[in-house]
Amino acid sequence: MSNLYERLGGENAVNAAVELFYRKVLADGRIARFFDGVDMDQQIAKQKSFLTMAFGGPNNYTGADMRNAHKRLVAKGLNDSHVDAVIENLNYTLRDLGVPEKEVKEVAAIANSVRDDVLNR
Amino acid sequence: MLKFEDRSVELRPGETVLEALERAGIDAPSSCRSGNCQTCLHRAVEGVPPPESQVGLTQGQKALGFFLPCVCLPASPLTITRPDDVGARRDAVIRAIEPLAPDVIRLRVDADDFAYRPGQFLELVADGDLRRHYSLASHPEDDPFLEMHIRLHENGRMSRRLGEFKPGDRLHVAGPSGTCFYEGVHEDQRLLLIGAGTGLAPLYGVLRDALKRGHLGPIRLYHGARSRDGLYLDEELKALSRTWAHVDYRPCLLDPNAPAGGDVAATALHAEQDVKDSAIFLCGGENLVKRLKRDFFMRGVSMKNIRSDAFTPSG
Repeated sequence: MSNLYERLGGENAVNAAVELFYRKVLADGRIARFFDGVDMDQQIAKQKSFLTMAFGGPNNYTGADMRNAHKRLVAKGLNDSHVDAVIENLNYTLRDLGVPEKEVKEVAAIANSVRDDVLNR
Repeated sequence: MLKFEDRSVELRPGETVLEALERAGIDAPSSCRSGNCQTCLHRAVEGVPPPESQVGLTQGQKALGFFLPCVCLPASPLTITRPDDVGARRDAVIRAIEPLAPDVIRLRVDADDFAYRPGQFLELVADGDLRRHYSLASHPEDDPFLEMHIRLHENGRMSRRLGEFKPGDRLHVAGPSGTCFYEGVHEDQRLLLIGAGTGLAPLYGVLRDALKRGHLGPIRLYHGARSRDGLYLDEELKALSRTWAHVDYRPCLLDPNAPAGGDVAATALHAEQDVKDSAIFLCGGENLVKRLKRDFFMRGVSMKNIRSDAFTPSG
């Protein structure tokens, strides 16, 4: 049985998902404000990185990286409801791409596993 | 094998450039360490980085030697710098300085061996410590000088200084920087260039470069200005669009009574509904560039197809 990243299609799957996902996030009134003022080119790279991790792909993130990257946003009020919204958008993105429900759930579980680090608690 | 600026860095077998930099005590930020987040971005100024260390970068970045040290196992010697390193200052002599509009001047300087792509910007240095970024409107193959279009600000230090300069006076230049140039565009692709004020300078460079390289797809250039004087290349651009059937020039005068705002961004966003496959170049103030970038992205344009240069105001 191949691993999740391979089943999803690896880097090509990340490339197919990243802009779809970013558009959904920016269009979502619950979380769009956290992306105000960010450089969109840099943000695409960060989204790619996040998706690679959530797809079970190669990454070397530490909890400290996640904490530092989101500290500023937690100060602006980032909480569980916003993490829920991001995971919801991730689910919609994967369904748009025709990913089976089993894999959608696995990706959501990985994304959820960094929740406490993202929220700095 | 590996040099950081002018310093040799030991690279052990199987070691990435990032690991070598860290072991040598060079401050190199990183995060994902797997070639995705681009936090560790550096630039090779000598040598060619392996293609796998450039995955995910834009065509413009690749052409300039940018790469990701965390996934770079060099096969040949490399000399690298930080991504924002503009290199050594070079001597420059003013060739011409003349008004293009009441508050815009055209500055042409001579500088030896200054390689650049039209649309990139340089750092202009006066009096040793007065530094500003200006985009290049000239073409290295056609023009023996570097041309900048500079908006004068009433109380700006550089603006005042430029008012005193005469041909023959000496300055310094450093760079170039920026990835807003004609690279990674398909010759049949539609080109959409949108700029306001002196944001026209890099777009004029890109337009001339596209024509020189035989671009075949339709090209549309919007230039926004607050008043008729501000359309400072009106005649040249009208002449270009008469010469080239596929070039369409759209001057946009600010119309404060227009329902959607009446600036060049509103005009272009209204007119450009079907942009999905266009290569878009955006230059001007930060608000203009951010708004257009976001709106075109949301309309389905891939970020790969949006090149931009946002000016930050400084006199």
